[in-house]
Amino acid sequence: MNARPQRTHKSGPRPPSLGSNLWTLLALLVLLGLSAGSALLRLGPFNTVANLGIAVIKALLVLTIFMRLKTDNALLRIVASVGFAWLAVMIALGLADVLTRTPLLPPW
Amino acid sequence: MSTVELPLPRSYLEEGFGLRSWLLTHDHKRIGVLYGLGITFFFFLGGLAAALIRWELVTPAGDLLSAETYNKAFTFHGVVMVWFFLIPSIPSTLGNFLLPLMIGARDVAFPRLNLFSWYLYMVGGIFTLACLLLGGVDTGWTFYTPFSTMFSNSHVLMAVVGVFIVGFSSIFTGLNFIVTIHTLRAPGMTWMRLPLFVWAMYAVALVMVLATPVLAMTLSLIGLERLFGVGIFDPALGGDPVLFQHFFWFYSHPAVYIMILPAMGLVSELITHGARRRIFGYKFMVYAIIGIAVVGFLVWGHHMFVAGQSMYASIVFSILSFIIAVPSAIKVFNWTATLYKGDISFDAPMLYALGFVGLFMLGGLTGLFLAATALDVNLTDTYFVVAHFHYIMVGGAVMAYLGGIHYWWPKITGRMYSEAWARFAAILMFFGFNLTFFPQYILGVEGMPRRYHEYLPQFQVWNVLSSAGATILGVAYLLPLLYLAWSLRHGARAGPNPWDATGLEWQTASPPPPHNFDVTPTVTEGPYAYRR
Amino acid sequence: MNARTHPVPEQFDDPVQQREAATLGMWAFLATEILFFGVLFAGYTLCRVRFPEAFAEASRHTDMLLGTIETAVLLTSSCAVALSVREVQLGGRRLATALLGVTALLGISFLVMHGFEYYAEYQEGLIPSIHYTQQGVYAHGMAIFYCLYYFITGFHSIHVTIGVVLMGVMGWRTWHGAFDQDYHTPLELTALYWHLVDIVWIFVYPVIYLVGRAG
Ligand SMILES: [Cu+2]
Repeated sequence: MNARPQRTHKSGPRPPSLGSNLWTLLALLVLLGLSAGSALLRLGPFNTVANLGIAVIKALLVLTIFMRLKTDNALLRIVASVGFAWLAVMIALGLADVLTRTPLLPPW
Repeated sequence: MSTVELPLPRSYLEEGFGLRSWLLTHDHKRIGVLYGLGITFFFFLGGLAAALIRWELVTPAGDLLSAETYNKAFTFHGVVMVWFFLIPSIPSTLGNFLLPLMIGARDVAFPRLNLFSWYLYMVGGIFTLACLLLGGVDTGWTFYTPFSTMFSNSHVLMAVVGVFIVGFSSIFTGLNFIVTIHTLRAPGMTWMRLPLFVWAMYAVALVMVLATPVLAMTLSLIGLERLFGVGIFDPALGGDPVLFQHFFWFYSHPAVYIMILPAMGLVSELITHGARRRIFGYKFMVYAIIGIAVVGFLVWGHHMFVAGQSMYASIVFSILSFIIAVPSAIKVFNWTATLYKGDISFDAPMLYALGFVGLFMLGGLTGLFLAATALDVNLTDTYFVVAHFHYIMVGGAVMAYLGGIHYWWPKITGRMYSEAWARFAAILMFFGFNLTFFPQYILGVEGMPRRYHEYLPQFQVWNVLSSAGATILGVAYLLPLLYLAWSLRHGARAGPNPWDATGLEWQTASPPPPHNFDVTPTVTEGPYAYRR
Repeated sequence: MNARTHPVPEQFDDPVQQREAATLGMWAFLATEILFFGVLFAGYTLCRVRFPEAFAEASRHTDMLLGTIETAVLLTSSCAVALSVREVQLGGRRLATALLGVTALLGISFLVMHGFEYYAEYQEGLIPSIHYTQQGVYAHGMAIFYCLYYFITGFHSIHVTIGVVLMGVMGWRTWHGAFDQDYHTPLELTALYWHLVDIVWIFVYPVIYLVGRAG
């Protein structure tokens, strides 16, 4: 019934070491502290940039280490990126509207 | 896994005859048939609403339906036809049935999830029917805010819940297709050997998975706003109704491609077979399918040129909408080139396919009128728009769906239908369709607005023609129901490959055995290996 | 059911193909979750552009300390569930179950803390349509911020609740030896789901709690 030979190996990528998991957690908590601290400084628009930048780094850490995208199948990295990319499209084209709206005066 | 040496039932239809064996089946073929029954029911229900609309519009006065009832009729027509017929039509019936067969798999990757999708579809349908029985909904299928959240006194919540649920049905179907195509292809079935129908299913699954969650959340927001009277979409409370339109069309423009991409893939199968030629430019066809799926996500703003969207954003959306015509045109050129010097037979599936190409082209080209910002201001909310999208959805998607049903009918049921009746129905349908919808282009250009139950007397001639066409179209749609049902009992038995067609689905018995293939096939060449 | 006797469903050739399909399916589902929540984040972005000051003012009314603690709790829980999967892959059972228990408890404590936040906001009159007492020029903009806040955190809390239940189920199955080095896909998929819920919160934290704190 099966044309392919049976493959048997331990399923999934090898787990990351205990150390890398714990270091990731530490990094995440430090980044959390950094973003809380930077929010209290007067940086103008850079407050938002710093906060979102830190959030992106945190998300990438979770994605690559905890969710193992670094070692798992490349296809999964593509699927994850597509999800975020489509969201970026929605926000970017939506902003293209909201940021450039001009009040249209009636012609009379 | 070892081969189980039991006497296997001969076909998937003979695997069990009780209701239980159908309602608890995990077989993708049976689930495809279940979907087929569901969408046929909803198609005729939605058609009934369309009949009411056309009947009302025979005379300029609003005499048959009151304004409210008319609003409910076109809303019901839209909701049912979009979410309960067009979106699941080709993917959930023919796609479910054929996808595993075409790639040489025993089933989809997640058969239980597949059955669950069908149940979600039915539960969503029950909510929509309940909404109708309670008195219906009058917002139009687009549920525009703030009317749907603040002002409408009809059963918006019920309708929204129904559509929300059916949305998850299409998410899970899409997810299942993506995983199936990635992991369950038979040995030798490389990506560039996939039939174009499978490519279309892949593209449509991507769109379903990436667009439908946006619809689900947007509908949830409508529900929450309506329940609590809060307003991120309500201008009176500082909200932004255009924001709703952004979210809604982020889903609903790609939803057009959920309807038309499967039709394009399907027609590629019909045309190669009907002309007995390889598809012209296979790779370009593949890139065009994927291109349409991706660029289709970038054009949604063309529905909002007059909604208060920034004109700079409108320019961007307009240009992107013109760009998406390119891959669509590539497909039309390649179908035409495939026909050139082909050994064309005008059997029923081919008639449907040729009808599709012509009507899709007309619908697509009038789409360019509407993508042009200046012209759109004039044509928005007129019958020109109605005619345009019916050419794509009815002339395109429904013609292709019916062509596919005829082409694979012997595979699904093991019986041949009456060719003469099938040709007659196809030609009648083409005629009736054009008589119904071409006058609406003219009405639109002359300025008749859509969604009113009355109109100025000067529009009556074209409206009478359109209603007459709709009557013919209705008869033409009933015909296949009759002669296909007749064939179930009296049709000649079909062999495994009655059309002498290529493709793995024709290499197994008709109807196929429960697990599709006795031996998993090995693929050694690309699709459409016809004589030329 | 013992892991060693776990049968491969008939549509798959072997366990490797089965795992590939399951993880791909889960990631595709996570992509839909990203877009599901994404609508709310997009809505937030487009509204914040229209009401920057009101959003900053509204954000200052949220509880930054609790928010920060909640973030830390979720990050830690993510690490715990990742370690649990690792433990199962290395053949452990007791520690893996305990780590799943820790994850579930952290999730519950997150929900409890959030409940306190909601209660405080209710008393302060910050819940549009239920108890909203804000006045002045920013009232409308703040109401929109708080609508989005309740939609986002509400849907997120539903996801956390589902996650806690799943952790309980997975803990029970792990304890009874349903998973081992060769077969642990359900546990892996549950962990992926939990991590995604965590990622959503990673973005909730700066956009809800940290706007206009320096002002
Ligand atoms: Cu569109």
